[in-house]
Amino acid sequence: MKILVAVKQVAALDEDFKIRADGRDIDADYLIRDLNEWDDFSLEEAMRIKEAANTPGDIEVVAVSVGPASVDESLRKCLAKGADRALRVWDDAIEYSDPIAIARVLAAVTMREAPDMLFAGVQSSDHSFASTGIATAAFLNWPHAAVVNMLNYTPGAKTAVLRRELEGGLLQELELQCPAVLTIQLGINTPRYASLRSIKQAAAKPIEMLSLADLHLVANDVGESGSSSRVRRMYLPEKGRAQLIEGDVATKARRLAEIIKEFRGQT
Amino acid sequence: MARDPKHDILFQPIKIGPKTLRNRFYQVPHCIGAGSDKPGFQAAHRSIKAEGGWAGINTEYCSIHPESDDTHRLSARIWDEGDVRNLRAMTDHIHKFDALAGVELWYGGSHAPCMESRSTPRGPSQYASEFETLTYCKEMDFDDIAMVQQYYVDAALRSRDAGFDIIYVYGAHSYLPLQFLSPYYNKRKDKYGGSLENRARFWLETLEKVRHAVGKECAIATRFAVDTLYGDAGIEIERDGMKFIEMADPLVDLWDVDVGDIAEWGEDAGPARFYQQGHQVPWTRFVKQVSKKPVLGVGRFTDPEKMTEIVTKGIADIIGAARPSISDPWLPKKIEEGRYDDIRVCIGCNVCISRWEIGGPPMICTQNATAGEEYRRGWHPEKFPKHGSDDSVLVVGAGPSGAECARVLLERGYAVHLYDTAAKIGGHLNSVVTLPGLGEWGYHRDYRELQINKLVKKNKASQVALGQKPLTAESALTYGAEKIVIATGSSWNTDGTNCLTHDPIPGANAALPDQLTPEQVLGGKKIIGKRVVILNADTYFMAPSLAEKLQLAGHEVTLVSGVHLANYMHFTLEYPNLMRRMHELKIKEIHNAFASRVEIGRLEVYDIWGDGSKRSYRGPGVLPREANKSHRWVEFDSLILVTGRHSHNGLYTELKSRSVEWTKNGVKDVYLIGDAEAPRLIADATFSGHRLAREIEEKSAQFPLPYKRETAVWGTAHMPGGRFEIEYKT
Ligand SMILES: Cc1cc2nc3c(=O)[nH]c(=O)nc-3n(C[C@H](O)[C@H](O)[C@H](O)COP(=O)(O)O)c2cc1C
Ligand code: SF4
Repeated sequence: MKILVAVKQVAALDEDFKIRADGRDIDADYLIRDLNEWDDFSLEEAMRIKEAANTPGDIEVVAVSVGPASVDESLRKCLAKGADRALRVWDDAIEYSDPIAIARVLAAVTMREAPDMLFAGVQSSDHSFASTGIATAAFLNWPHAAVVNMLNYTPGAKTAVLRRELEGGLLQELELQCPAVLTIQLGINTPRYASLRSIKQAAAKPIEMLSLADLHLVANDVGESGSSSRVRRMYLPEKGRAQLIEGDVATKARRLAEIIKEFRGQT
Repeated sequence: MARDPKHDILFQPIKIGPKTLRNRFYQVPHCIGAGSDKPGFQAAHRSIKAEGGWAGINTEYCSIHPESDDTHRLSARIWDEGDVRNLRAMTDHIHKFDALAGVELWYGGSHAPCMESRSTPRGPSQYASEFETLTYCKEMDFDDIAMVQQYYVDAALRSRDAGFDIIYVYGAHSYLPLQFLSPYYNKRKDKYGGSLENRARFWLETLEKVRHAVGKECAIATRFAVDTLYGDAGIEIERDGMKFIEMADPLVDLWDVDVGDIAEWGEDAGPARFYQQGHQVPWTRFVKQVSKKPVLGVGRFTDPEKMTEIVTKGIADIIGAARPSISDPWLPKKIEEGRYDDIRVCIGCNVCISRWEIGGPPMICTQNATAGEEYRRGWHPEKFPKHGSDDSVLVVGAGPSGAECARVLLERGYAVHLYDTAAKIGGHLNSVVTLPGLGEWGYHRDYRELQINKLVKKNKASQVALGQKPLTAESALTYGAEKIVIATGSSWNTDGTNCLTHDPIPGANAALPDQLTPEQVLGGKKIIGKRVVILNADTYFMAPSLAEKLQLAGHEVTLVSGVHLANYMHFTLEYPNLMRRMHELKIKEIHNAFASRVEIGRLEVYDIWGDGSKRSYRGPGVLPREANKSHRWVEFDSLILVTGRHSHNGLYTELKSRSVEWTKNGVKDVYLIGDAEAPRLIADATFSGHRLAREIEEKSAQFPLPYKRETAVWGTAHMPGGRFEIEYKT
């Protein structure tokens, strides 16, 4: 039995950053990369299901990511936390893919791996489209549920019971046919940390590479031609009169009191 | 990140007499324990600030003559050519970074006990110092006045020769010029006493003479306590204060102003427990109304917003700082480069000051473990040697010591895993900061938390694992780290073990419902009754802080203290206002008393000095004094045991006992730091973590490397001309 976990290496802004010359993204030199926060939770959820099973050895947790060689670092993190295998899909043609094109790739990987469940994060912390997981389900034509914050699932079972977060603090409990695609919400569990030993061991494990051909895809399926949206520009809005008060609570409170006094002309 | 343009004003140069400060950041005079006898320490500690962007940097108070000898405390001295030579190291190093060096010429009068020189201090009238209560001065006649003024002139000339750019006549903290000015000291009836004009005469004449001697080459500054905070018994800002500034204004190039005196100089160096940033502004703001010269003020300025406000609102032209410059010698540079959240904010604990008050050990700082270690250990506050091996390190415990160790290891490029059961970095500090007035101590944690999170992002093999299960020796061994640092802290004793009897107190047991440790009080899970007794054998902040907290919450608190309550807080200058606070809140204290046993709801208390004063041998098993018969019962609803602490070193001990398994698990060494090694000040815990991180590749890194000592050594080649013979005048 198998759980496939789709993960993404996200980018965070360094203290200082510049917009790329074409105006459509941040200059890569100014980005710090790490595993998407949501993916820590979906991987942990898979690990917990594996460890709770009667024969954990029969359940394989496989992490998959679409991206260039630098993504190996994030896949290694998954291996260090206990994933059995890691797959990476890349072809230069994939660059500039939108979530729909990435979902097409992930659906192809899912067909190839034939897991009992596919987990993804609710969204990625950098682009926040919140659509990759659900779009994959659409390509697969699988049952799906988004924003899952509780899951009851035994590998091999025909259905899973889960809870979803809705607007206004509402919760929804759902029974779903398997295999299915679930996008996992933060806080569903407490992700584990990898020990130094497992980090060292993960460094020696192989990461399986998949090409477009391995997935029976062609260049036109991905990249701008395979996408249904295109970034026009990325920019910082003009600064308004609002100011962000930073610091701990005491500092913020002090500053706020000062601003009020300044407005009243008391200082 | 670029700095916010609104802070540009802090980087505008400003002229002071013949010299120019390159920006508005100025380290006011402060002691460090170097003086003139440790020229390496002096030069390194001051020049690291020049490198960090401070435009003006001063010595500590600098004695002008053996008649002003502060021993047992440690001042600088500029008595002779030897001192000139030693202080030259400081000015040379400061000048390399385009900053100005200042010297604070000091004559103490009766506040200087002259324990080394055995000279007699002179003053405007005769009185016993309220600070050194056994020292009296001799009242000066006119010859004495001329002589002492000449001491200032001679010292100023030597200062110029030593390369100083700014020369002070120091009249803050109740030293000699202020003793003439203030009617609290000056009871004279001649032309140096009585009217303000007369009381100001000594100070004005001295400034004139010093100006005449060196004023063309050096900027003349004066440090003035514009309000001594005694009402009309001393100097008040809107009376003599502003008038004196008007009178002396033509004679100075720079006003350095503060408030208070020497006996309670915590009103100037205000501890965070009582005073916030900018606390002197209500007094400082008057100075510019009457002065045409540049003015600088102090008040633990750490925040560039506040500093900008001080300058733009015309409260002062220059930002003076002592403690903020100790806590972060690179504060101006960080503001200049817009690295605001790298600022190591002074927490206002005054532990730096405690060392001067104690009488001369090198200064230490809670926030900045490198303070005082620049020269002797070669520690730069912002630059670190690259990692000396590829060993990965597991640090168990993210309190002050563990977090500092991890931070420095990460700075050095080591792969570090920082592990804690708590959900937040900070260890016991996370609860200490909830005590009354100690919120700002949290900056110690905040700085490390922020830096570690930044460093971990860049060092991918590293990780901060919080909220974890307690680590067993087995999992530590197999964790995969080559080096394991145990920083598991300490806690308060649950059985009353204390520094007086070195044993538990019969019946003391914090597992019982009516007895608590400080952690249990702060944890808030145990019910606390109306009548609270705090049994104390600790001389720092825990007992009085808990007393304040609980009395405020409506309990009736009685302290039973077998040691001098809050004694260390004399040294941190928190004592006077703490005592006022206890008095205000009507907290009761039974002092010089300790406990012999505890029963449900009552404590047996005895007077420490209740046994006989006559000592005689009375045979084995019999005490050599009359037995103590002062025992009586004190009732309580809740008893809090602030009797002593013990290390949490179980994990270390077990790892040590399994040392045969280290090699097969790839473990090369295991270390013990901070309170887990021995309970101590937060400053010392921080230091022990920092020290290990700097020296971790050494063979036995558990134990510190020797440091450079600056001592006078007989007959060495570097002291040519010195004769080292015993010469009796018979
Ligand atoms: C460790 C220490 C030693 C000090 N020694 C002196 C001194 O020698 N002469 C002096 O005029 N002020 C001395 N001060 C007082 C400071 O110059 C300053 O007025 C006071 O600390 C308030 O400034 P701050 O809030 O920036 O620390 C000392 C302060 C500290 C922290
Ligand atoms: S010891 Fe405390 S008060 Fe002194 S500089 Fe350091 S943090 Fe500030």
